[in-house]
Amino acid sequence: MGLGPRTLEKLCRAVGRDHVVWDAYDLVIFERDASIAGALPDAIVYPANVEEVAAVLEIAAEQQLPVVPRGAGTGLSGGAVTLRGGLALSLARLRRIIEIDPKRRTALVEPGVVNYDLGLEAARHGLFYAPDPSSQKACTIGGNAAENSGGPHCLYYGVTTNHILGMEVVLSDGSVHWVGGEDPDRPGLDLLGLLVGSEGTLAVTTKLLVKLLPTPEAVSTLMAAFPSIESASKAVSDVIGHGIVPAALEMMDKVTIGAVEAHYKAGYPTSAGAVLLVEVDGLTESARELTAAIEQILETDDAFEIRVAEDPAERELLWAGRKGAIGALGHIKPNYYLHDGVVPRTKLPEVLRDVGRIGEHYRLPVANVFHAGDGNLHPNILFDLREKGIMKKVEKAGEEMLRACIDAGGTLSGEHGIGLEKNAFMPWIFGPDDLAAMQAVKDVLDPSGRLNPGKIFPPAGQIEPKLIARSGVASEARWW
Amino acid sequence: MVTVDGLKPKAVEKPKTAEELAGCLSEASRAGQAVIPIGGGRALGMGDPPARFDLALVTTGLDRIVEVSPEDLTATVQAGVTLEALQAELGKARQFLPLDPFASPGHTIGGLLATAWSGPLRQRYGTPREFLVGLQVALPDGRLARSGGKVVKNVSGYDLNKLHFGALGSLGVITEASFKVFPRPLFEETVEASEPQLTDAWREARRALDLKLPPVALELVREPDRHRLVARFAGSEDGVRRMVRELVWAPVGEADFWQQHSRRRAGRWLRVAVPPEALRDVLQSLPEAASWWAHPGVGVVHWVDFESAQVAAVRAAAEDAGGSAVLLAAPSALKSELGAWGRQPATIDLMRRVKRAFDPAGTLSPGRYLV
Repeated sequence: MGLGPRTLEKLCRAVGRDHVVWDAYDLVIFERDASIAGALPDAIVYPANVEEVAAVLEIAAEQQLPVVPRGAGTGLSGGAVTLRGGLALSLARLRRIIEIDPKRRTALVEPGVVNYDLGLEAARHGLFYAPDPSSQKACTIGGNAAENSGGPHCLYYGVTTNHILGMEVVLSDGSVHWVGGEDPDRPGLDLLGLLVGSEGTLAVTTKLLVKLLPTPEAVSTLMAAFPSIESASKAVSDVIGHGIVPAALEMMDKVTIGAVEAHYKAGYPTSAGAVLLVEVDGLTESARELTAAIEQILETDDAFEIRVAEDPAERELLWAGRKGAIGALGHIKPNYYLHDGVVPRTKLPEVLRDVGRIGEHYRLPVANVFHAGDGNLHPNILFDLREKGIMKKVEKAGEEMLRACIDAGGTLSGEHGIGLEKNAFMPWIFGPDDLAAMQAVKDVLDPSGRLNPGKIFPPAGQIEPKLIARSGVASEARWW
Repeated sequence: MVTVDGLKPKAVEKPKTAEELAGCLSEASRAGQAVIPIGGGRALGMGDPPARFDLALVTTGLDRIVEVSPEDLTATVQAGVTLEALQAELGKARQFLPLDPFASPGHTIGGLLATAWSGPLRQRYGTPREFLVGLQVALPDGRLARSGGKVVKNVSGYDLNKLHFGALGSLGVITEASFKVFPRPLFEETVEASEPQLTDAWREARRALDLKLPPVALELVREPDRHRLVARFAGSEDGVRRMVRELVWAPVGEADFWQQHSRRRAGRWLRVAVPPEALRDVLQSLPEAASWWAHPGVGVVHWVDFESAQVAAVRAAAEDAGGSAVLLAAPSALKSELGAWGRQPATIDLMRRVKRAFDPAGTLSPGRYLV
């Protein structure tokens, strides 16, 4: 490893001594992200601008150090974990909203800007930024771009890649480039589209030009309670089948409802087998008409209670339950392992049955809270790490749930990324030729393979896919 | 006989399967030949005249609609399927692909993705870049590589769909594509307005775009004595009717305006694309008698039947405004003189490295694309 005193000295000169951390005790703060894996970096650097980012990458290139860019560390697939050591490159100090242009409906921001803060600033101009991950009060726009994050409202509005117009990026050799732009139909290869969602393995983002949208005239949110997941899933299919694509269409199961009600009192009936949150927006007339149409469909599909939020406060409360659901699950067990598989919407009932069966088999409580309209599942396996040997069961159950998604014609991740969590499973959905094409791109942009190594691609010489434990980074001993 | 810029290929192949196509491609590549993939041939005027042309690889034999799943709002088709055939299939479930390219009918899906052609509906839905969810591509070494998948939301692996979209088949030949599709709107209405002066037409266009429910398509068409604005609204009936009332334009003259509009094509055709705010200046800089139609909300104008000498100044202005001016069709001599693509992007070196990684022997469409 090339991180001797001379390299540290260079890094200190590049970003300032106060912005380099290498004390073993301090490094622990960046050992983890929000996934269940962890590994220590050799140093953490906090550059303040693109020049300093480029300087750090040049030093890393000289010393052949791995570099792992990091936003808020809320990622769920281990994208910010320094699996091979090296430098954790925090973008937390690049946190300016440089400009909001209400006329062009764009914002130019630095990557460390928190998603929610951009939303607040945009709202002052009657605009909003559409992608809204549940972690939006902490996660950053740069991290969102790296993971191509989604959120409840992506059903109608699309995911992060549909909302980024351009980025300033630094490659692993320290060169700075601007990709994309405000003009449509740009001649040349769409490098921007390639880089969004590349999980920090191809480039480090230092500026983003994003689209803002005008706040809709009316928003209507309704909660519907169903006797079972099956009946709620059928309702989801029927709404879409009627040609209605709501802004958001979210589902929570019985386990989640119980936990949420204990904490938020959002008003979800605890007797329900599943609750749907449906939001439509647009013109006042459209919202009214669509809400009525949706209510009728849901009633036909056995919803036993439907409540339309009467005012913004009630809407906020309905959403608080959804967005805070994962935290609320702490009432049941202290730890969770959250998956992100996607299936064709019509396969939801059968895959959810499989998920339930797998949980029962391993005697692990499972809470489902997810983007039903997109077919994007989020089964949370709940557990207590202090139980001896539990991790093996959790991993095995997670693996089987993912397999069920793939067998139903789905994919590994809808919005959380592959990272180091699911890279071993990539051969389930991509053959050697598919992966070789992706590797060819990696080799072009990061020939020495030092940017976020060990992510996305299956480990070399892998014999049988296994969840994160294969790398030894999630051993139970490391958790305490 | 297929020709590209007057050049005839030495051979034409029309494979029936993706594997067969990949085989033809790799064989040609090993033999050092130059291959141009051809779909419906609607956009063959694009690109610089090819440096060489040995094999025309025609994709229309790949004409199978692989899977349409209305409840999932997804569809998978082979590259040679025409847009009309796909729309007819989707229409059975009142769904559609929101894509209405010019020079219709007859575009193939593969051709549309390779050229990134689109039409007025991009105002609301964007180009297929935004709703293409999966691809299978034949690479010059004979491999078939997939990216994305068949589900509407997917972040597994690199998004190579984006890299092939609009690359004019220069990295590989698209053999199959999966899309997110859309329900047909509940209600639609098209209205129009006319203004003698561009400034007034632009103001009206702005007014339409600033409505609480903007039109899904808004076209500004230069006709001999007027600037004609045509707006298409879609959504719930009450909402659409209110927008139409607020706008106070007249019902559109032709019942099939959009179909007629999509048939526009020309032998001299320049697509100028700039940040939307800069489009008005571009329109003002076009010659008084110019023939054009524009998407004011998107920042694109299609200028047709221009004089050769008029192009350079308009292109320079577009490029200075942070945009581009690409020849979609022109006599070969003119393309050779002016270049089909205009100023090279700043990241051309990275693009060339990507091209070399996919097509090291330069088999695919040599000389036609930027890389």
